[in-house]
Amino acid sequence: MIDLQVLTQAVGDLDEKAILTMINDFVATNPSGEDAQTVVFACQQGMAIVGELFEKNEYYVGDLIFAGELLSKTIELLKPVLSSVATQKVGSIVIGTVEGDLHDIGKNIFGSMAEAAGFDVYDLGIDVSPNAFVEKLKEVKPQIIGMSGVLTLAIDSMKNTVKAINEAGLRDSVKIIIGGNPVNEDACKQIGADAFTTNAAEGLKTCQGWVK
Amino acid sequence: MTDAVNMTNERNQIFRDLFNGKIPKRVPISNPATQDFAIQYAGLDLAECQWDLTKLEPVYEKFCQDFYTDTYPGGSIRIPSHYQILGSTPIVMSSSGFMQHPDVVGMLAEEYDQFIASPYDCIVETILPRLYTGFNGEPGKVAMTLAKAMRAQSDDLAYLGAIRAKMNAKYGFATMIGALTEAPFDFMADFLRSFKGISGDVRRYPDKIAAACEAVLPLMIKKGTLPNPSMLGYTFIPLHMAPYLRDKDFATLYWPTFKKLVETLASMGQSVQLFVEQDWMRYLDYLYELPENTIMRFEYGDAKLIKDKLGKKHIISGLYPVTLLQTGTKEQCVDKAKELLDVLAPGGRYWWQADKSIIHLEANGPVVENLRAVLEYVHENGTY
Repeated sequence: MIDLQVLTQAVGDLDEKAILTMINDFVATNPSGEDAQTVVFACQQGMAIVGELFEKNEYYVGDLIFAGELLSKTIELLKPVLSSVATQKVGSIVIGTVEGDLHDIGKNIFGSMAEAAGFDVYDLGIDVSPNAFVEKLKEVKPQIIGMSGVLTLAIDSMKNTVKAINEAGLRDSVKIIIGGNPVNEDACKQIGADAFTTNAAEGLKTCQGWVK
Repeated sequence: MTDAVNMTNERNQIFRDLFNGKIPKRVPISNPATQDFAIQYAGLDLAECQWDLTKLEPVYEKFCQDFYTDTYPGGSIRIPSHYQILGSTPIVMSSSGFMQHPDVVGMLAEEYDQFIASPYDCIVETILPRLYTGFNGEPGKVAMTLAKAMRAQSDDLAYLGAIRAKMNAKYGFATMIGALTEAPFDFMADFLRSFKGISGDVRRYPDKIAAACEAVLPLMIKKGTLPNPSMLGYTFIPLHMAPYLRDKDFATLYWPTFKKLVETLASMGQSVQLFVEQDWMRYLDYLYELPENTIMRFEYGDAKLIKDKLGKKHIISGLYPVTLLQTGTKEQCVDKAKELLDVLAPGGRYWWQADKSIIHLEANGPVVENLRAVLEYVHENGTY
């Protein structure tokens, strides 16, 4: 039987070989969906360790990206045994890099961490127009919208997106968080977002606070 | 001599003094706004003007006239024509018309050994065809694509060069030349393995990254070499990946070949300007080790700490937050410039530049007025 504590620690250590060996061995035992759920939960706890180490400046962005890759690999391996159980989601988030900006590394890190934390994540990709955000909002009715950008022009695009959400009469139905290199408190106010962050782990905590 | 020639001579002397560690007559200024900003400032379409460069001369005329700067405000420009002809994936235009660098994979992890054995051959034979779709297909067709692209680029550069010469002659800017290169680790990340790819490689194959950085170092030196090292100018090195690495990975994988790159360029008698992107505060002691008078334009950090640690040996620049121009009042913007002057100018070795380039102009926003006020303030009050 798989030792969940050891697995959690291996995820925290980003020990790829150990994780993949454990998961492959586990899948080979033809486990039940419920058992697979506990393995996913152990991995999520490992990701929480990664987030803590990031906040303590022991891990950096490169480590978060690698953690995201390891987690997707793990979930991919577990999918065949997970398919039989319905998963409990903590909330849903629509994310995208705003219009005019093609940078998606920060958005992807946040997306994979939010997924690992149990959110349904709808990723609209890059260079996303205000209208595309509004349409997705109408379609999936998320609790949260996350807008990302690296260039200073992203600030104006974020402003335009919030304006479009307002005009569609949807502003009160969602929380909005912005993230990326140029955002700060002043920009957040001007844009009319509810929160800002330059740190994916911190942004995730904000979102978790909103769906409690 | 005309006034403009006198001004060029005076400005050239200011930069010569600055780069040699002497205290110049006053703090020199480079306008952080770029060609993209200038096109929008002239009320023209960003994408269209980059395709039709004949529209640019009046754009620069107005830009140079309205904003104070000691250096030509052309910046580094990614001209779309040759990228389009080559079918570029690493440099593309977004819907806003701004040329950008998405995260692309030019080299697969299993190709490290091939790259280490001969970086140049691997780039030409394997990596370029992957990054530029125009390099796929029959050799004859590829040759035509390359010829067309190079012709388009050289025509465009000549056209931009002519505008630059006219503006220099009219406005008396310092006449500096520049070369551009990357730290070997950044080159491996930005164009070969991608941000995501290299982040995994750091854990999986650190030895191969180290060997690849060593192997590509001579190409990075060659790329960064000025036509003549005694000319006024510098090699520009935008730094990318270090803030995203753990200290030990920085020490073993990033720093050794980066240090050799800067040392080699400096030993040839060239100035080097680093664009120290993102947060390098935990690496200040490393930066101190670089050759005397390395120019360091910081995007982020504690100005006082940077001045204390590096300001006696190196030339400090940057740190002025351009987002303040978007969100602050004129008074707040000028106060910030004063605050940085007070900390960074005493003793010399300071060049006024902003933390980032300004690439975007929001119609009816405060940036134009705020930027102009800050440039004027520093021009009039920029004493050491």
